[in-house]
Amino acid sequence: MKKGLYSCVCVVMLLLATSLWADTIYIPVASPYTGQLASFGEGVKNGALLKADELNAAGGINGNKVEIQLEDELCDPKEAASVATKLAKDPKYSIIIGHLCSSATLAALPIYRDAKLPAITPASTNVNIGKMSPYYFRNVYKDDFQGFFLAKYVHKIKNFKKIVIFYEVNDYSMGLMLAFMLEAKKLGIEILGTEAFTSETTDFKPQLTKFKMLKPDAVFIPGYAPQGTLIIGQATSMGFKVNFFGADGLDDELMLKNQNAEGLFVTTPFLPDKAGAQAESFIKAYKAKYNKEPNWFAANTYDAVGIAAAAMKAVGLKREDITKYLAGIDTKEKAYEGVTGKTYFDANGDCLKDAFIKTIKDGKWVSADQQLIE
Amino acid sequence: MHDLQWKKIVIVILVLLLPCIPFGSSTDYILRILTTVYLYMILSLGLNIVSGFTGLLDLGYVGFYGIGAYTAGLLTIHFNLPFGVIILLAAVNGAIWGILLGVPTLRLTGDYFAIVTFGFSELVVLFIRNELWLTRGPMGISGIASPSFFGHSLSESWHFYYLVLVLLSIVLVIIHRLEDSRIGRAWYAIREDEIAAQCCGINLVKYKVMAFAISASIGAVGGAFYAKWFTFIHPDMFKFWESVLILCLIVLGGMGSIYGTMLGALLIIPLSEVLRIILPQYLMNSRYLIYGIILVIMMRLRPDGLIPFQIAQSQKNKHAQKRLFRHHETYP
Amino acid sequence: MVFDQSSLLLQQLVNGITLGGVYALIAVGYTMVYGVIQLINFAHGEIYMLAAFVALTLITQCHIPFFASFFITIGICGCLGVVLDYIAYRPIRKSPRLAALITAIGMSIFLQNLALILWGGQIHSFPQDVLPKIFTKIAINFSDVIVTWLEVFILCVTVCSMFILHYIITRTKIGIAMRAISQDKVTASLMGIPVNRVISFTFFIGSALGGVAGILVGIYYNAVFPTMGYVAGIKAFAAAVLGGIGSVPGAMLGGWVLGITEVLGAGYFSSEYRDGISYAVMILVILFKPSGLIGKPLPQKV
Repeated sequence: MKKGLYSCVCVVMLLLATSLWADTIYIPVASPYTGQLASFGEGVKNGALLKADELNAAGGINGNKVEIQLEDELCDPKEAASVATKLAKDPKYSIIIGHLCSSATLAALPIYRDAKLPAITPASTNVNIGKMSPYYFRNVYKDDFQGFFLAKYVHKIKNFKKIVIFYEVNDYSMGLMLAFMLEAKKLGIEILGTEAFTSETTDFKPQLTKFKMLKPDAVFIPGYAPQGTLIIGQATSMGFKVNFFGADGLDDELMLKNQNAEGLFVTTPFLPDKAGAQAESFIKAYKAKYNKEPNWFAANTYDAVGIAAAAMKAVGLKREDITKYLAGIDTKEKAYEGVTGKTYFDANGDCLKDAFIKTIKDGKWVSADQQLIE
Repeated sequence: MHDLQWKKIVIVILVLLLPCIPFGSSTDYILRILTTVYLYMILSLGLNIVSGFTGLLDLGYVGFYGIGAYTAGLLTIHFNLPFGVIILLAAVNGAIWGILLGVPTLRLTGDYFAIVTFGFSELVVLFIRNELWLTRGPMGISGIASPSFFGHSLSESWHFYYLVLVLLSIVLVIIHRLEDSRIGRAWYAIREDEIAAQCCGINLVKYKVMAFAISASIGAVGGAFYAKWFTFIHPDMFKFWESVLILCLIVLGGMGSIYGTMLGALLIIPLSEVLRIILPQYLMNSRYLIYGIILVIMMRLRPDGLIPFQIAQSQKNKHAQKRLFRHHETYP
Repeated sequence: MVFDQSSLLLQQLVNGITLGGVYALIAVGYTMVYGVIQLINFAHGEIYMLAAFVALTLITQCHIPFFASFFITIGICGCLGVVLDYIAYRPIRKSPRLAALITAIGMSIFLQNLALILWGGQIHSFPQDVLPKIFTKIAINFSDVIVTWLEVFILCVTVCSMFILHYIITRTKIGIAMRAISQDKVTASLMGIPVNRVISFTFFIGSALGGVAGILVGIYYNAVFPTMGYVAGIKAFAAAVLGGIGSVPGAMLGGWVLGITEVLGAGYFSSEYRDGISYAVMILVILFKPSGLIGKPLPQKV
């Protein structure tokens, strides 16, 4: 017994010693890991840890070990600001990955900006983020981009005439909806009605009942998968058969468990069947480690950590240099090739990625037969 | 007594000099947490007027906090008024809403009052969330200009530390004066026994509405400071949970006691951050689990709060007073 | 078009009655505990959530058939309520009421995070093949108004539970004891009523009903997640107050009124203000009838 204790102490000492001597690069990943939105944070956490493992297995960043530092902020702007303050002045950190919710990102943004600390958000889509700080980058679409894209797609390829929109009351969903409506008006698509829901609710029947009476060609759900799958399930159970489509929020493994989601199509930054070996090996490694399919939070975070690592590998740990390096990734040729495709930034630090459409066929995500090439 | 005075002076000096103590790179972090603590002290002192002094359980205090924050945010975005004016206007707007809520709920007691205030704050948040033309809804209002004095815009952590300290002192002075005044005594009388108070010639309507208005305007001042400090506001910041948190502070500190509520804020608000630092990574997920347990244990050990009201009052005949309080558990 | 409108209304009423029934079941738990110890048991919503998780685990992990797990879960939830009372509320029964309220909030945070750690944050759903096949079949299809057997089942379970509860409260000895305690705890104990045991029993019944609601909601919306108890708990609490807190028939009525208003409000007025409509109705009822729909007015102490 005592021996065991001694060896434990030795191991701990050894670990401490190694962590003191070998230079460890800490990459904070801020996201909700507890609270109401913890489910979103799970993908972020898994994606980041997987990438760090792979980086370390490949020798770390210029020989230094990478360690992911998880910072929980519950998607609460107040906590996000505290986390940001804690990180901002500490010279240990050269780049931040996070935050997840746009509201948290917007609260943390001024603090990183004042500290000239670059950050990459893998999930905040609010249109203002890029404009407000030269130090903030994102490898996720802006809200409006997908809305325009989807409107064009359903008009040209699917030829839908009458559409209803079932949106969630948050900035992601409303940004998508507004962009979609703007483009739809130009293209002559008729919006029969819009209804709202909140993230806390699980009962969508009153709104769906209303939609059913309007007899639309399709329902646009600019929301997230947890609610999306419930909406589709409840619609089917009340005999409301219609086409459903959405944006990357619905792009999740969760949808495949729903037999009624057959035929759902969504926008996506990458097509697994065409993305090449890197994405395939990512999915395989992810499945092996966590025993589930990666969602887009995981994939985006995996890439965000990858971009951060690439920057540190290229220019070292100085905050200024990293910012400059990231801002320099501004054309398709210089793009970072990750599992979510090629990522490069525009002048605001917003990411530019191609959009594709994928659909559920026989319980699997496959790329849609017809893509919209602009 | 003399001893207590000395302690007070030492605490005041410590609080004032705190930003000068170098903590290295974590100075900002510590100052931010303390600024949050002082902000919550303001809020809990405000709530304490309705819930502690007058004895009505208010579950919707965050509504006034939100009203103040959005008043300040919108006034800054559209008109860019000076900070002092904004604080005043926010306080006035808060008071108006406090009166609007107070008048119809006058005859409600106990939990019925609580649930109406709760409904009110939910309606406020829903309004903020859905009326895009005014509040920009879930996009939030970002880029609110920091307060500036004589041409200097506040930006450093210690600026805000002192600003909130000034606001807290003002609120503290007002509440102290109120507590010892005719108004404060009228509130206590209403809490102890409404009918008896009425018989003694206390105008219930006047004093209850006054309590609402003052409490609401303090909440709105807190919100206004919050908006200017954060430079970003979002409807999610004003959820029901915030009301519960502020209520926890005053119950934990000692209902009705000014220093108790402040102590409550000092202990509870940094708790989640302290847990963040002391818990190892693998226990990160259980941060709020432990938070919950701590709340339960604290209530178990000090059910009357850390500084119960009767001790805070330096009056004779403590014993009789204690009996009085035990007997009249009319609250909520 | 006229026909469309009336079937729309009927369908919305069906939706509202189902939702209201669930609110009523949870509200009864609140109101019973409130009746005997004047405590707003904030942790009640978490029991409702745990019920859904326990049932899910029993069905998918332990492969116990649906109806068996249904009853086992109800039993577990009842016991959980008793344990909750024993470890959290009983020690501070003589303390101020607000201390108990904060304890309840603390327990609620604790249980919610416990579920988060045990089951993870994502939305779980019941696999379709483990539920009785008949649930998804359509019971009534009357000119586009569709009622599934599941909805019929929920309504039946709700009504049955309420009748059983009503019987227990009005006709059994323990029910009379409960009512006696709610009138006057001290006198009741002088009459030889084991106050603590009766309070435990109240927690058992209230939590068991919350458990029933949790399972029903879990299978009806097919979504089980750690924070589901929060909103449902608040709504149910509102329903309990709406009906007159402390009164069991009041809680049932309040649940249905709230459910139907909410659904009709979302259907006809504005789905953005869906929750707001139910809260607004609640506020108006309380303002004009300060003791709730069928609650007794609180006695004025003189």
